[in-house]
Amino acid sequence: MRDSYDVIIIGAGHNGLTLGAYLARSGLEVLVLERRHEEGGGLTTEELTRPGFLHNVHANYHTFVDLAPPVKDLEIREHGVKYVRPEVQMASIYPDKTALVVYSDIEKTCDSISRFSTKDAATFKKLFNEAHGYVDLLLGTLMFEPPMSVKELTKALSVFGVGNRSEFLSVKLRRETINQFLDEHFENPKVKAHLAFHGAVCGYANDIVGLAIGFPLLVGKINNWHLSIGGSHRLAHALWRDLANHGGVLVTDAEVASVVVDGNRASGVRLADGTEITARKLVASTVSVEQTFLEFLDRDKVSSDLVSNELFEKIKTEIKHQSWSLFSVHLALSKLPHYLAGEFEPDVDKAWVVNLGYSSPEELNDDWKLIRNNQLADPKPNVAINSLYDPTDAPEGSYTGLLRQFAPYSIGSLGPGAWMDEARHYGEKCIDSWRKFAPDMDAEAIIDWTTYSPHDIATKLPNMVKGDWMMGEISLANMLDQRPLPELGNYRTPIEGLYMAGSTQHPHGFITFAPAYNALSVIAQDIGVDQWWKKV
Amino acid sequence: MADIYTPSWYEEVKAAINKKVSQLKDIPEGKWNLAIEIVGDGMSPYVEDNGERHFLVAIDNGSCLWYKEIASESDGSEIGKLDYRFRGSASVFDSIAAGVLDPIDAALDGSIKVRGDMRFLLRQADQVQALLEAYAKEVTTDWPKGKPPYGSSAGSNHVGEAVFYA
Repeated sequence: MRDSYDVIIIGAGHNGLTLGAYLARSGLEVLVLERRHEEGGGLTTEELTRPGFLHNVHANYHTFVDLAPPVKDLEIREHGVKYVRPEVQMASIYPDKTALVVYSDIEKTCDSISRFSTKDAATFKKLFNEAHGYVDLLLGTLMFEPPMSVKELTKALSVFGVGNRSEFLSVKLRRETINQFLDEHFENPKVKAHLAFHGAVCGYANDIVGLAIGFPLLVGKINNWHLSIGGSHRLAHALWRDLANHGGVLVTDAEVASVVVDGNRASGVRLADGTEITARKLVASTVSVEQTFLEFLDRDKVSSDLVSNELFEKIKTEIKHQSWSLFSVHLALSKLPHYLAGEFEPDVDKAWVVNLGYSSPEELNDDWKLIRNNQLADPKPNVAINSLYDPTDAPEGSYTGLLRQFAPYSIGSLGPGAWMDEARHYGEKCIDSWRKFAPDMDAEAIIDWTTYSPHDIATKLPNMVKGDWMMGEISLANMLDQRPLPELGNYRTPIEGLYMAGSTQHPHGFITFAPAYNALSVIAQDIGVDQWWKKV
Repeated sequence: MADIYTPSWYEEVKAAINKKVSQLKDIPEGKWNLAIEIVGDGMSPYVEDNGERHFLVAIDNGSCLWYKEIASESDGSEIGKLDYRFRGSASVFDSIAAGVLDPIDAALDGSIKVRGDMRFLLRQADQVQALLEAYAKEVTTDWPKGKPPYGSSAGSNHVGEAVFYA
C-alpha cells in the first residue's frame, strides 16, 4: 500500500468493489479499504455449520443478474461467477398444504396461480407482461441512474399519460401500500399473500404507504432470481479480481478511523493503526451515514459552514432504518425436504425458496405489528435449499438449508443483546415450524444448525445499523433523492471530494450494484472521467 | 408525399419535427445524436427479414439538423458520440409512422428498446411528446409495398387520417 492514491474507497462490499473496479478501469489509481479480513460485505459465504457446507451468511438472492450493467461491464462471469436461475424459483405453502409455485417460465406460474383463481392468473400474466415490458424504463429511471425527484417523476408520468396507458402503473401508487395494490387487482388471499411475501423478501413491507410504486418492478423480475454457484462470496471475489486486474488495490484488515478534511475538501483517510493515506481526487464511503459522519469526521475540526450542526444532528436522529430485520437458521442436512404439499403440487420439492404459512396479507400485517413492537412472531420462515441447484455447496450426499424469519432488532425491552440468549430457542421454533410442512426434517435429517440473529448482523457488519440489511428504511420518504437525507441524496456530501456510494443511497440495499453505479456517474461528472460504461 | 424510408421522407420528417418544435417553449439547449435501428421481422416489406436498417438523427436545440440512413450499426464515433439508441422491429416502426401505434406505448412496453439517459427524456416529456407526435402524425407517407397491417394494397396515410391511437 502506497501513501497516496487518486481514489480511496471505504468498504469492500459489492458497492465499494464495483465503484473501485469502474474507476480503476478508467485509469485511476484506486485503493479499497476493508475493516474485515476479507472483501464482500454482505457477500459472505462461510462454513458456519460443518466443514464443506457453504452458507451465504447475508446475501443469498441475486435478482438483478443481466439487468444490472456492472455484470457485463465488469465481466463478472468471465471472472468466474456462475449463476444459475432455478427453474422452480419460489413457492408458498399454505397451512392447508396447498401450494403456489413461481417458475422461471411465467406460463407455468400462471397455471399454478390458476389453481387458486383463474382471474388472478390472468391478472398476474397481464401485470407481469406489462411490468416486464416496463423494466427498461423502470431500471433506467428508478435504479441505474442518479435519482429524479418524486415531483419530476410524477410530472413525466402524467405528461406521457402512463396512468391511462397502463392498467397497473400509475402515479397514485405513491399513495398506496402493496396491500392496497393487491386488493385492487387480485381476489384470492393466498395469491395476494404470496405476492406480498415476495415483496417483503425483497425488503418492501406490504403495509407501508407508498411502496406500491416499487411493486411492479418487483413483479417484472419475479422470475429472475439467481443463485451464485459456490456461494455469494464468489461475486465479491470476481469484483476484486476485476479491480486488481485494472491496477486497483484492496487492503483488508484496514479499519478507517477518520476521513481527513483539509479546508473544505476530503484529502484522505487515517487508519486505526495511525497510517495516513492521501486521496488525490476523492474519498468514497460505502459504509453507513452514521459511521461516515459521526465516527469518521472530527466534528470539532470540520467547519460548521461546511457541515452544519443541523446536518450532524439530523444524521444522529433522522436517518431512517428498517423497522424489522432478519433472523436466520443455517442448516447442514443429510437429505432434502419433502413437503406434505407435494401431494397438491409436486414441484414444491424442487422450489429453491419456499415461503411457509402465510395464507393472507393480513397475517403478514399482524406479524409486522408484533415485530415493530420488538416482539417475536410465531415463525413462518422462508426456506432456501441452495443445494437443489448448487451441488457444490455441500459434501456429496449432503445439503445446505437456510431458514429466514422476519424479526426485530431488539427483543422487548431487553435490547438487541437478548438475541444471544434467545437465538437458539427461536431457531428451534423456526425448525419446528418448518417440520410442520416437511415432517421428514427430523433430528436425523438435520446434521447441524446454527443461528444468525439481527444482533449478529449489526455486530459483524456495523454498517448494517440495527441489523438493517437494506442500510436504510424502504419507504417513499426515504427513496430517490431523499435517501438517506435530502442533503445527501445525490451521492455528494457537503465536503468536496467526499462521496457516499453504498446502500445508504438510492435505490437501497440488496445486490443491485446501483448505489455504486449511480455514484460513479456523479463522480465521473465531477472529476471529468469519460463515462465509457454509458456508451449507448 | 414521400415513400417511407427514403431521403425525401426523412426531409419531411425533419420538417415536421422542426415545425412542431418551433411552437414549443422551454426547448432544451444542446446537441443530441440519435441512432435508430429497425430490425426486419418478416412482416414489414421495407426491411428484409432479419436484416437491419440504420438511421442517424442529429438534434440541435430541439430542432432536427439532419436525418439520414447509414449502411450499418454506428457507435456514433463519426458524429462525435451517440446519446440515444432506439431499436425495434420494422413492423413496430412502420406502425408508428403509419399512425396506428402510439410511440410512447411502444417505448413503455419495451417494443422499442431505448438506451441512453431515460431521466432526460422524462424531464423533457413535453418536448419528447411533441417530437414523437410530429413523427407519427404530421408526415404524409406513401407506402408503395403496403402499409400496416400490410394486408391491404399500397396506399398512403395523411395528416389527420383517423387511424391514430386513441
